[in-house]
Amino acid sequence: MALLQITSPHLRGTNRTASVMQWVLLATLPGFVALIWFFGWGVLINVAWAVLLAIGAEATVLRLRKRPVMFYLSDYSALVTAVLLGLALPPFTPWWVTAVGVLFAIVISKQLYGGLGSNPFNPAMVGYALLLVSFPVEMTTHWATPSTLAVQPDFLQTLTYIFTGGGVNIDGVTMATPLDTYKHQVDILTREELTQLPVFGQHVALGWEWVNLGFLAGGLALLWRKIITWHIPVSMLLSLTACSLIIGWDPDQYTPVSIHLLSGATMLGAFFIATDPVTAATSRLGKLYYGAGIGILVYIIRTWGGYPDAVAFAVLLMNFAAPFLDHYTKPRTYGHRKAHRGIKKAD
Amino acid sequence: MAKSYLEITQDGLWKNNPALVQLLGLCPLLAVTGTVVNALGLGMATMLVLTGSNIAVSLIRNFVPESVRLPAFVMIIASFVTCAELLMQAYTYELYEILGIFIPLIVTNCAILGRADAFASKNPILPSALDGFMMGLGFTLVLILLGGIRELIGQGTLFTGMDLLFGETAKNWQLNVIQDYPNFLFAVLPPGAFVGMGFIIALKNIIDNRMKRSAEMKKDKVAAGSKRVRVTGSIS
Amino acid sequence: MRQTWDFHGGIHPPENKTQSTQQSIRKAGIPQYLYLPLSQHIGQPAAPVVAIGQQVKKGDMIAEAVGPVSVPVHAPTSGTVIAIEDHQVPHPSGLTDSCIVIETDGLDEWKECIPCENYEELEPAEILERVRQAGIAGLGGAGFPTAIKLHPPRNDKVNSLILNAAECEPYITADDMLMRERAHEVIGGLEIMAFILQPEECLIGIEDNKPEAVAALREAAKDTQIEIVVIPTKYPSGGEKQLIKILTGLEVPNGHIPADIGVMCQNVGTSAAVYRAIRHGEPLVSRITTVTGEAVEQPANFETLLGTPLSFLLNQAGFNAAKASRVLMGGPMMGFALTSTDIPVVKTTNCLLAATQKEFPEPPPEQPCIRCGMCAEACPAELLPQQLFWFAKAQEFEKAEMHNLFDCIECGACSYVCPSSIPLVQYYRYSKSQIRIARLDQEKSDKARERFEFRQTRLQREQEEKEAKRKARAEAAAKAQAARAAEAQAAEDPKKAAVAEAVKRAQAKRQQQAAPEVDLAELESNVQKAKDKLTKVEASLQQAEAEQSDMAEKLRNAVAKNRDRLAFAEQALADARKQSSDTSTTASSASLPAQDSEQLQRSIKRQEDKIATLQNAINDTRNSDPDRANQLQPTLDKSLARLAELKAALGATAPDTPEEQAGPDLEQLQSQVDKAKDKLAMMQGMLEEAQAEDPVDDAKVSKLTRAVEKNHERLAAAEKSLKNAKQQAQQIPGQAKSSPEELEALRNNIDKARDKLVMMQGMLEEAQAESPTDESKIAKLTRAVEKNQERLKAAETAYQNAGGESVDIVN
Repeated sequence: MALLQITSPHLRGTNRTASVMQWVLLATLPGFVALIWFFGWGVLINVAWAVLLAIGAEATVLRLRKRPVMFYLSDYSALVTAVLLGLALPPFTPWWVTAVGVLFAIVISKQLYGGLGSNPFNPAMVGYALLLVSFPVEMTTHWATPSTLAVQPDFLQTLTYIFTGGGVNIDGVTMATPLDTYKHQVDILTREELTQLPVFGQHVALGWEWVNLGFLAGGLALLWRKIITWHIPVSMLLSLTACSLIIGWDPDQYTPVSIHLLSGATMLGAFFIATDPVTAATSRLGKLYYGAGIGILVYIIRTWGGYPDAVAFAVLLMNFAAPFLDHYTKPRTYGHRKAHRGIKKAD
Repeated sequence: MAKSYLEITQDGLWKNNPALVQLLGLCPLLAVTGTVVNALGLGMATMLVLTGSNIAVSLIRNFVPESVRLPAFVMIIASFVTCAELLMQAYTYELYEILGIFIPLIVTNCAILGRADAFASKNPILPSALDGFMMGLGFTLVLILLGGIRELIGQGTLFTGMDLLFGETAKNWQLNVIQDYPNFLFAVLPPGAFVGMGFIIALKNIIDNRMKRSAEMKKDKVAAGSKRVRVTGSIS
Repeated sequence: MRQTWDFHGGIHPPENKTQSTQQSIRKAGIPQYLYLPLSQHIGQPAAPVVAIGQQVKKGDMIAEAVGPVSVPVHAPTSGTVIAIEDHQVPHPSGLTDSCIVIETDGLDEWKECIPCENYEELEPAEILERVRQAGIAGLGGAGFPTAIKLHPPRNDKVNSLILNAAECEPYITADDMLMRERAHEVIGGLEIMAFILQPEECLIGIEDNKPEAVAALREAAKDTQIEIVVIPTKYPSGGEKQLIKILTGLEVPNGHIPADIGVMCQNVGTSAAVYRAIRHGEPLVSRITTVTGEAVEQPANFETLLGTPLSFLLNQAGFNAAKASRVLMGGPMMGFALTSTDIPVVKTTNCLLAATQKEFPEPPPEQPCIRCGMCAEACPAELLPQQLFWFAKAQEFEKAEMHNLFDCIECGACSYVCPSSIPLVQYYRYSKSQIRIARLDQEKSDKARERFEFRQTRLQREQEEKEAKRKARAEAAAKAQAARAAEAQAAEDPKKAAVAEAVKRAQAKRQQQAAPEVDLAELESNVQKAKDKLTKVEASLQQAEAEQSDMAEKLRNAVAKNRDRLAFAEQALADARKQSSDTSTTASSASLPAQDSEQLQRSIKRQEDKIATLQNAINDTRNSDPDRANQLQPTLDKSLARLAELKAALGATAPDTPEEQAGPDLEQLQSQVDKAKDKLAMMQGMLEEAQAEDPVDDAKVSKLTRAVEKNHERLAAAEKSLKNAKQQAQQIPGQAKSSPEELEALRNNIDKARDKLVMMQGMLEEAQAESPTDESKIAKLTRAVEKNQERLKAAETAYQNAGGESVDIVN
């Protein structure tokens, strides 16, 4: 009888990276559906195109690096990057913009650093920031009008526009986002006039509120399944709320809290992007600082920075800080008097 | 220490290229290579300064005392940079305006002081001159390459604005490689320079590895044939 | 309700315990052979006290404890001792160790056991001695001698005495069944231990997945002060440190033992064994082992005799070898895999898991770490497994050590939860071993540096002393001249004469002070005393380090001091020897006590025998117990030094009887040849036997073949040296003495060769100390040293053959 010679431990749990990633994808569905419902087929086409490109790019680079392709593709991480990037982009983004973003994200910001687990920056956000910096026009003027306000082009028309640039005159079907509008018009109009604008709808932000609530629901599902912990989302949202209430309490001068929380990529960022385990801090206390930092940076950039939505930049800036946070928030080991924080030898 | 002229040339252009191997002078490299003409302008200025300063340092190398060596070299380099700056101010004013602070900053280009200290202060004039020229040429070539890539990807054109350097006739040298190019700002901004630089260095390393491997394969064949079998005496 | 705390992390793997609790404890039965390893516990292995062929009864001591940290081994059943040999023992390495093999007679006769109705009448020290003599070690898995554990260092007060009834690992139910069926023994043992330690409280920590055991314990403890604390089921709450935290809220500080915070943890099996030992006088001869897993048809708990082969035990439970893909000793989280079932049950065998491929599938390939942090959530020691993993991968072991790598208890919770299936525990084991190897190398290089530095100072001192002596001689010569001149003058002037006298007296006094009487014998005894003291202190230091007591620090200082003292004494002796050898060649022989040449020869023979036995002992124990080998090494060195001295003395006192010298040599060599012949015959016999009995057992056959070859060589060498000696003896009487000039020339050769040899050796030592990695240089110097040694020997032989005095053989 040939007995296996192997060292302990011999038991393994059932948790797998692929299933973690699959759950993340599943959890984006409510927000994804809301996006398609309100902003048209462009989102679906973007996501599909991004997924295709991401898998192709990752497979190519893996083959160049002489790694087993299927083994590394089967952890679904490229898929998640592509979906998150696709969700973040405007619906009418041309195909080459998405392509540049996805290729840069997968090839340069993930694979060239060593593949999954070795990248210091969130790949989807690197791609998004690259696009924001490189193609400012396409990234700010291609946001769709919510479907309750205008008739949106159908699937084929959108497809044609995205891949050829023709077929639809998008000036008629695009409009600025609520965050953008409030930020730029708050000096001109009063709050009552502002909220009458159609972009804000009856509640907070037409269309966007449902999208964000959808992502919130997905995020709560992830919390319930223990895929993510509560530290980052809660600290990010709390700090954003706190900043907004303390600094921007006057809606006549600053964007109110409700718009901060329920429009833009806030919920997507809080539950899906900031919680990316590879690039976030790992200790519990570190996660709290990390989330709080993101929240504060989001508020600062949105209010005083040059961009209407700031989640990407805030996340990237805190990615810089994540190793430092880990270093200084190490837990105390059993049997030691203090936690060993910092560089010098302890005890 | 005495290198042949061929070796000096090879070093300057490839083996010890200041930008790709020594990684010196990266500040101007990354900042002004947005277009080919900028890159060419700065590169030529650097080349001029390098050659001149190498010659001058080599001339005085036996007379300058050890304690004031480096300050003396910097003085020489600064003088040459001032000359170059004044020349550019006189003859290529628009380019001078575009390059701005980076022309005086040639003084701080570590490649120049580095060559002065490592080569010109220990070698006679002619080799020093050649070394300076080749190093400058190598640096300029990399500048042009990076500038071309960034201009091509960022703006879709090549040789825009060459008239700033070469006069009116050069205006129609501009190539519009891609029509209706949506400018890729990233390549024009500094991050694009870093990424482009990284890829160029990677390319050089690939070429170097290929050359090394083919050289090794050739060497093996020679060695295999040259062994002799001893039939008498002790085999050691 | 007693307050309980919780420890950080932990996992909840599927328990799989009901398979083996369906029936009560079964008796495993008596196999035909029992293999008792001598080392079933932490500490020195026991030493056998039985001879082959001896009849033993159940409970007889067959191996006694050696040293303080050791326990004896007893015969688990009656039978005959048929061998004391190497056998494969339960260990992850699969290596062999010394075992006593008993052939059982099936009668299971007990020896005379002396029960004790009232243990309270005994002194605690007496109870501890009985526990030790009963061979009780920690049955929970560690195997630490219980008597030592029950005697805390510095007599620390124990506030909480805890019995570990948690049994947190899946599949294992041995303690559960023991408590269900023999709760009174467990409680009885706890009472005895409480009597010894007098703690403030006695607790039994038990998981809530064992309700029947809880009930049984509560019933058995209803009239006592013992508290049964039920804790939530979580792995690894059975770890000592974790259980202490749960029950008392205290954490065992890093680098300390629980006794330092007034807590002691014992296993329930150990407690029951203590009860049986004290109350019934029965030594530890059996234990309860769970046999479970899908590859056995009837999983159950067995009362197993120690030394039972696992194959026998597995068959009792219906082992299906075809289905088994892994056989584990221990639980699925911390047990080790066995490669054969031919090994015996030992005191720490609590479970045998015969698992199928489906039950424990092979681990999936490692994926990249996604830094999810679940490992840190699960770690019961609150480490950062992720960081330790990254450091291990990058080979940054110092950083791993700084992140408290050695606090890892290798429980496997981190790799259980890892979604990327990273074998984390394996990475940590690798890092720990690399760090240990680095520490050993550091110690070695520190010692080498010390030796080098000492040698430098010694050389310097010798240089200075030579200078001083030369100066003294010059001064003496000058003074003698001056004295003569003064005398000549003083003859004319009486006053000057008186002054000259006074000056001469003062000079003589000063010279006496400068060159005190040197008593070589006294110095030698100093050296010997210093050496003895040093070995004693080193031994107690080792013991202190094993116990991790505070004395270790003081003892280290003491060791350093003694080393210095020894160095100084040796230095003084060397100087004195040199001085006396400078002044006269015969002084050295005069310094040793005059001995008859025959006496010397007898002492030499005794010394050589002693050396031979020591060398054999060292070789034997080098692999199994390096501590013992190291202890014996200084004794061996001492003996070798003494032998050299005796030989020197012999050479000095018997210069012109080369035949006499050759005589004892011949006898010695002859006896060596005979001994080698006998051993060779025995080895060959064993080899044939092995080949006949078990031709498939390749390991045994090859081992014996090698032994046979070794003995062949030994015999050949002995015969050759005998032939040489005979030739020499024949040559010597026939040769005429050469002329004195030739003798002088040969003697000069010897001196030259000796000087060159010393120089070469010095260079070799320097090279070894300065650049130990420069192998070519060291090899060259070693060859030069050997060549010079041979040259010296040849010169001396030539000198001897020419009829000169025999001289010291310098190595």
